[in-house]
Amino acid sequence: MHSHQTRRQFLFTATAGLAASTLTRAAAPASPVAVARCKTYTPAELLPAMQKMFDRLGGLERLVKGKTVACKINLTGAPTYRLGYLPLEDTHYTHPQVIAAAAHLMSQAGARRIRILESPWSTADPVEEYILRANWEPQDILGAAPNVEFENTNYLGRSKKYSRLTVPFGGYVFPAFDLNRSYEDCDVFVSIAKMKEHATAGVTLSMKNCFGMTPCTIYGTGAGVDEPSDVPKGGRTLVHSGNRQPSKSAPRELDPTTPRVDTWRVPRTVVDLIAARPIHLAIVEGIKTMTGGEGPWIREELKGVAPGVIVAGLNPVNTDAVCMSLMGFDPLADRGTPPFERCDSTLKLAEEAGLGTRDLERIEVIGTPIAEARFDFAGMRQRRRSVPPPPMGVRG
Amino acid sequence: MTAQWTPMRWPDLWTDPSSLDLLQGTAIDYLLIGKGEALGPVRTRAQQAGLHVADAAPAGVATVKGEWPGVKMARGRVGQAIGFGGLPSVTSASANGSSVAAQAMGGPTGVPWVDSNGWLIRLESALHPENSIWVDAPPSDARIAAGSYLVAIADSASHGGRWILSLDTQLAADLHAKTPQALETWKKVTAAAGFFAAHKSWTAYAPVGVVGVVSGFSGKNEFFSRELLNLLDRAGQHYRILLREAAAIREAAAINDASLTSLRALIYPDIEPPAPGLRKQILAFVQAGGILIAGPKWGELPGTPAKSDEHPRFSWRTLGKGRVAVAHEDPGDPYLWANDSVVLVSHRYDLVRFWNGGATGSFYTMSPGQKQAVVHLLFYANRGPDSASVRIAGQIGRAWTVDGPVKVVGQALSPANFPKEAVEVHLPQVSQYVALELEA
Repeated sequence: MHSHQTRRQFLFTATAGLAASTLTRAAAPASPVAVARCKTYTPAELLPAMQKMFDRLGGLERLVKGKTVACKINLTGAPTYRLGYLPLEDTHYTHPQVIAAAAHLMSQAGARRIRILESPWSTADPVEEYILRANWEPQDILGAAPNVEFENTNYLGRSKKYSRLTVPFGGYVFPAFDLNRSYEDCDVFVSIAKMKEHATAGVTLSMKNCFGMTPCTIYGTGAGVDEPSDVPKGGRTLVHSGNRQPSKSAPRELDPTTPRVDTWRVPRTVVDLIAARPIHLAIVEGIKTMTGGEGPWIREELKGVAPGVIVAGLNPVNTDAVCMSLMGFDPLADRGTPPFERCDSTLKLAEEAGLGTRDLERIEVIGTPIAEARFDFAGMRQRRRSVPPPPMGVRG
Repeated sequence: MTAQWTPMRWPDLWTDPSSLDLLQGTAIDYLLIGKGEALGPVRTRAQQAGLHVADAAPAGVATVKGEWPGVKMARGRVGQAIGFGGLPSVTSASANGSSVAAQAMGGPTGVPWVDSNGWLIRLESALHPENSIWVDAPPSDARIAAGSYLVAIADSASHGGRWILSLDTQLAADLHAKTPQALETWKKVTAAAGFFAAHKSWTAYAPVGVVGVVSGFSGKNEFFSRELLNLLDRAGQHYRILLREAAAIREAAAINDASLTSLRALIYPDIEPPAPGLRKQILAFVQAGGILIAGPKWGELPGTPAKSDEHPRFSWRTLGKGRVAVAHEDPGDPYLWANDSVVLVSHRYDLVRFWNGGATGSFYTMSPGQKQAVVHLLFYANRGPDSASVRIAGQIGRAWTVDGPVKVVGQALSPANFPKEAVEVHLPQVSQYVALELEA
């Protein structure tokens, strides 16, 4: 059926859409976001910086005392894959010192149990074994406080069954998810992310970090057709491209006729996930990170950089909006504008779902002003993209 | 095991004795020449030139039938574009680090599948320590890249054997015609063979392992135990072969207190329970702090069930200072056992860790006097890795590739997260083989 819209009708619709968007933004929650300069991962500098940020947000005790805290960290890609010779934690993994510092401060604030969660690449091995391969010492994190433990959430793990978490607003792509129980069996959920660009989603911050909550036994390349597979195999092509549905035991997509394009699906799935599993505390570390993408496998000119900044907030959309601005991007940017040249904005979709505003006018930034901590990912992106991509095989 | 000879299978096409000129200045000293009359003049001139000529391996050499080593590709091809950065596009890039072109045949975790003859050489050597081992694995394709020849040579030689240098039909024809490209490939191939001939002493070095695999490697245990060795290599686990019923002559692979002291774990994959003497020895090893990984047919185990027991396929028991991991089911999938064993023992004790290595292999060896160690690093793609790092237990001395010394940047690591001294080495752009000499 053709739709013959007059220019007047088009302008009316567009204006109405804009008005609705502005209204949504005005209604979406806003809460303070703390920014701190931090040049190194040495505990002597990192711990006080993080402590101060949390204090400025009202204190960790209010959030975690007597509670079970689950922290989703970012260990994207195989632990044997580095950007040149750089350690993984200096480029694309959440740094172990940040994880340890967060656990330590949470414990001091009275957290009863601290669980470090991640779905490592294509394995059901314990997270401790995975990070040894990255040259980390698990005890650096486990020893940061009493009652710290890891759980591999890429499969069923220690539980008898998966937890079904429903998307309260109905969902863009999925109405609900079957996840490792650790995501339900916690009182406080924290996303501890790395500040990075992302080839599919423009940026990866506290919200996109949660894409990895999905177990590959259900949402992965090797997922079982009827029931979840026992062990995860491969990545999340299923969610990226929509080439198949999750295991039949899990909720199906809402509309299988929607675009089978990762730049459409991934931002929406991320919003579905963080709506189903709300984030109480978002921590994004950009002390050292990389530009050009989320990991060394991306075909761009990739660089290890040291923005020297760390961010925390109680609302992930607000937090990610501040991070985008710190990266030199406009958090109000829409598809077609950097860093969302090819994809939809996860922030915009989250805002429209009522999860939080991305409007800096409405977000109180406490601590270091954005202008003083900005690191120009955007400018580097523009310069990088003004020349042809590097030839294959040259990296580092 | 020694490696006295550098053997080559003479191409039937090369009936002109002048082709022997190609061997001048190379390490090739043993020619396997067919019996045909057309090759008579070649045989005669080769003998006159002091080369050993025969149609079979000499006494004291066991020839094993091997696979063409390298990254296994779909349609039976060895890959051309494997290696870091060898990514056709962002969308086909893989976060698992395998950086593998679309046609590569994946292993069970998506990592490229690698064929290697290393385990076979080591097993034959353990079973027949009096023999040298030659690997008969002629090219599977009509045209093989120079890098793939290097892998074939290094894969065998680094494990103490020798690959019978065998040319693909196209290279043989092109060398016969003396095309510049073929001569360039020949130069690389003979340089690699020459490198190992110049380091014959390395073949006498003993394997250093984290685990010992105790098996008879025969009968109904043959497939599982042998494939386990192959897959332990692929899983990056360093092992020593321990023969279940070793006679005195096989002392290199015999089980005794000395052979067990440096190991962290023993894997007993055989269906039958061990003989009482062996059982006693193994349990003493566990009592002293080792780990035993065994199947359910091991028999009754002393000790107590472990408090924390979460492994899906093994149950833990504690015994003295050590632990026993008993499989819930009889050994079925050697791939699972190989990978499970790495985690059961823990990556904490990895002797070698790679980053950006692609499809890798390594073999850690120690000189008879324990004064020097050599770690052989193998990169099974058709070209060397870009920006690879490797972490080695030990202190770096010198580094070599087949073309000569390699300048590497070594960075000592804190022993805090490793039981021994370790060093991280950043490799420059290298070929598919690097040897790291470690200081005592």
